[in-house]
Amino acid sequence: MTIDWITWSIWLIGFIILVIWIIVPVREFKELIKAKKKKDEQEEKNE
Amino acid sequence: MAAIDYIIVAVFMGLLFYAGTVFYRWIGNPDDYYVAGRQLTPFILAATLTATNVNLYSFVGQAGVAYEHGIAIVWQTWTGNMAMVFSGLFVIPILRRLKIRTIPEFLETRYKPAVRYLVGFLWVFRLSFWLGVVLYTAVVAAQTLTGLDSFTAWVLIFSVITILYTMLGGMWSVALTDSLQFIFMLAGALIVLPLAMSAVGWFPGLVERLPETHLQLVHQHGTYNWQFVLAIWILGLEWGCVDQGLLQRAFGAQSTKTVAKGLVLAGIINTPFALLWNLPGLAATSLFPNLPNADAAVPMVLAHYLPHAVLGLVFCGLLAAQMSTISSNLNAVATMFTNDLYTRIFNKNASDKDVIKVARTITILIGVFMMGFTYVVPKLGGAVDAYLTVIGIMDMPLFIVAIVYGLLWKRTTWQAAIFGYLAGALAGAFAKFGMGYDFNTATFFSAGTSLIVTPLVTWMTRPDFHDRIDLIWRMRQAQDDEITSKQAYHIIPISFGGRLFLSTLFIGLLIFLTGIFLGSIGHELASLLSVIGMIVYFASGLLRLKFE
Repeated sequence: MTIDWITWSIWLIGFIILVIWIIVPVREFKELIKAKKKKDEQEEKNE
Repeated sequence: MAAIDYIIVAVFMGLLFYAGTVFYRWIGNPDDYYVAGRQLTPFILAATLTATNVNLYSFVGQAGVAYEHGIAIVWQTWTGNMAMVFSGLFVIPILRRLKIRTIPEFLETRYKPAVRYLVGFLWVFRLSFWLGVVLYTAVVAAQTLTGLDSFTAWVLIFSVITILYTMLGGMWSVALTDSLQFIFMLAGALIVLPLAMSAVGWFPGLVERLPETHLQLVHQHGTYNWQFVLAIWILGLEWGCVDQGLLQRAFGAQSTKTVAKGLVLAGIINTPFALLWNLPGLAATSLFPNLPNADAAVPMVLAHYLPHAVLGLVFCGLLAAQMSTISSNLNAVATMFTNDLYTRIFNKNASDKDVIKVARTITILIGVFMMGFTYVVPKLGGAVDAYLTVIGIMDMPLFIVAIVYGLLWKRTTWQAAIFGYLAGALAGAFAKFGMGYDFNTATFFSAGTSLIVTPLVTWMTRPDFHDRIDLIWRMRQAQDDEITSKQAYHIIPISFGGRLFLSTLFIGLLIFLTGIFLGSIGHELASLLSVIGMIVYFASGLLRLKFE
């Protein structure tokens, strides 16, 4: 059986993007939420 | 679809609603609502840009064109991606530094409030029209795919949850749900591609079964020929520089550098992604030949080759593609209305709370208008053609007066901007409706007229140099706060590597254009050269950022 390199190369690029897109934005959102919580706590203290 | 598919879709919708409403409490001021407090990071920005730009038109409409006319339609996405890289490197950093929220706001800074009100007013309608068409195509595709014929039910399914979370969480909700939707979209496309390709005997089988011209990227003749590629590249440039949906996401970025990174990333990522929905369209050409409606090509592949549960997951991907586009544009219309009209004309002393309240109300109103408009679309006939005409007529003149003359020629006056814009729009409308030309030609008419009328009126009117013009010109340079925070972005790089790769970017563009023009004489290297040019262009864009 021969492998269809063209299709699977396109598929692999898509798959790599998918994996990166699950890991990186989750990390970035976590950091944003952490920063927001910190800011809110700071504001509460100031009040 | 079976019960399991519907359960998956229901869980997905619930998840989106929950995720979207989480940010309700994050909205403290209008900037939070419009541009996510300008906190978006490069990957979140790229995800939200990609999710907004990919909708059912890509999965259904574009794949349908691939089914009927071949792979050349992929240039619609690819040239759009090239435009994103261009605007990310050269144009949007300037706009981001001005801390504006909309293009009409830029027009006020560059020209006068009158230009802002005129364009703001027209664009609220233009974006609402787009939303109606987007929703209509989604409803029709969902009907084909599921066999559920209730038009109203699908209108409600697509609209209600999207309107609610956009209304509550603004751009924060849009950004989070876009990121989630991007994952579903990509996962769905990754499932469909191997199934469709295996059904036709993989790529060699596809080549054997298709007419030769179907796999040719640049044609000499036909509807999607070299002229189409050229026209869509020009329209792409316009889209990349003035589209409110795209700009608003870009303005939400943490810094100017993030804008450039996010746009270049989104452009490059979207390029292989486009093949994931166009190849199944090509496969459908041999699997289901002679379909009466080409738009049914990919839904047919899905319905025939996907097992239950997987079909539900892929359907979520399609829903995601559409909902992300709707939510982003709803937010864009609300922003334009409140930012350019409400706080400037109707209530100049509005508090932050008032503005957010009005933005939320407008989101609901435009959502209702969008739902109503879907019932009108079938009666209008070719809705997609009508939409392309609207872009050609209304968007091209805006690009000419705002970006071409607004950023490149200080002497341009506000009167010239108004006359240039209106003359271009009217010329485009006359070419389309008076002379019966297609949208490509109408685009050339509107752009050409604006290009000529704007400088003519400028020379006839008194120069109106003011401090704001100098401010815009200063925004071409990296600002002090960027340098202090080590986030400086130079439009013309200061490093040797940066300048080298900026040069190769233009060489890539030249190779791409050479390929397209060679297509006009049917040269066999046309397709290869244009693709090589595009790859050089993308690689150079990425490396230019690396060597900042």
